[in-house]
Amino acid sequence: MIQIKDMSKWYGDFQVLKDITEEIKQGQTVVVCGPSGSGKSTLLRCINGLEPFQKGEIFVDGVSVSDPATNLYKLRTEIGMVFQRFELYPHMTAIQNITLAPMKARSKPRKEAEAKAMELLQRVGIPDKAHEYPANLSGGQQQRVAIARSLVMEPKIMMFDEPTSALDPEMIKEVLDVMIGLSKGGMTMIVVTHEMGFAREVSDEIIFMDEGMIIERGTDISFFQKPKNPRTKEFLDKILI
Amino acid sequence: MFDAVSSNLPFLMGGFWVTVKLAFFALAGGIPLGILVGLGRISRNKWVYYPVTFYVNVIRNIPLLLVIFWFYFVMPIIIGSPLDPFPSAVISFIIFEATYFGEILRAGYQSVSKGQIEAGYSTGLTYVQTTRYILIPIALRRMLPSMITQSIVTYQDTCLAFVIGLPEFVRRARIVDTLEVRSIQLFGFVAIVFFITCYIGSVISRRFEVREQEGG
Ligand SMILES: Nc1ncnc2c1ncn2[C@@H]1O[C@H](COP(=O)(O)OP(=O)(O)OP(=O)(O)O)[C@@H](O)[C@H]1O
Ligand SMILES: [Mg+2]
Repeated sequence: MIQIKDMSKWYGDFQVLKDITEEIKQGQTVVVCGPSGSGKSTLLRCINGLEPFQKGEIFVDGVSVSDPATNLYKLRTEIGMVFQRFELYPHMTAIQNITLAPMKARSKPRKEAEAKAMELLQRVGIPDKAHEYPANLSGGQQQRVAIARSLVMEPKIMMFDEPTSALDPEMIKEVLDVMIGLSKGGMTMIVVTHEMGFAREVSDEIIFMDEGMIIERGTDISFFQKPKNPRTKEFLDKILI
Repeated sequence: MFDAVSSNLPFLMGGFWVTVKLAFFALAGGIPLGILVGLGRISRNKWVYYPVTFYVNVIRNIPLLLVIFWFYFVMPIIIGSPLDPFPSAVISFIIFEATYFGEILRAGYQSVSKGQIEAGYSTGLTYVQTTRYILIPIALRRMLPSMITQSIVTYQDTCLAFVIGLPEFVRRARIVDTLEVRSIQLFGFVAIVFFITCYIGSVISRRFEVREQEGG
């Protein structure tokens, strides 16, 4: 579903990503972790073409992201993205946040878009919040609206960039539960997170990044109990207190 | 009690009308020019950004009074014919206020998080759609209270035009005062009129701030 081949990216002279190679198959959930500044967000942003990269290739469902002939707008509808800070549109209600893209990017009639949005709000557990503005929702509720906003485009892949790290502890579970449901339902997912419980439960692969490189990978969290790289151990000791 | 005011009311209110007209033209020109200035300030084109930034920095570091003065006394030397005080004041205000409205626009633009824009793109919206449905509405909402406040300030500042002899509200009160010697009464009246009109404006402004907090 996603193939990354020898991909490198620079910001000016600074190399953020170094020869990243990774393959994610349909239906897999891959967890990405690593210290701040290691390039996790940048990697996600390269995958859906929000950031250009200078070397290597990324294919999403067989389509090259860096090919100038690729319609990035269409490609992005196939990759949902959920952000650390939710990034809901503050001037729109929950349901308007969700229906904007189907109505504008796919010219769906309002009725149809709203019916679909209500179905998704039901699925993330907050149908009663449809007409609330983001400012009146808790962090966990906002993040669930954000997930519904991505799902409404029926993406083939969902990317999450630290979706729970801006949340109070009591709200983390409600968001993780939605994500676990998605993963078990067969969604292809890339999740940047330090929630190792989540990783253990649903991930097919865990990747550890440091300084722009993938320095450790495994299929289970237990793999990391004997990491090859001392940096991995040091990092895991910090987050697995 | 208000004898000096009541017996000169048409003359005074004529001055008030000049003030209102001046404020109206200052804003009608200053806001659109300010939008252009703001766009220049967020432009990535250095041939646009640097000249506009220079203009903004120069004007914002000169007192408005001097801009009015300078324009009225220096422009005739440059263009070779004298200027009427009213158009001269209008142009000075437009030049001055545009820099402030420009900075308000820039701040509004910068208040929209990069993530909100990327959220738009990541659902497949185009550049134009993201700008129209996300960037502009969010920025406008953030800008509106400051725009109203700056408009009120502009309206109050119009009385500075008295320095070039424009017969606006304050200047006419001064003229009546030299004849009637009723300073407290006359300037009290001017203050009350300014207070009432500005107060209405600030109430409107506050409504927008409350709406912003509610998210609507
Ligand atoms: N627009 C940019 N210009 C220059 N450098 C950037 C830019 N964006 C990110 N970087 C740098 O690239 C590196 C990787 O950033 P990135 O946001 O991908 O890290 P991250 O792993 O997501 O970190 P975090 O856990 O803090 O989110 C950092 O050193 C950052 O300072
Ligand atoms: Mg990040």
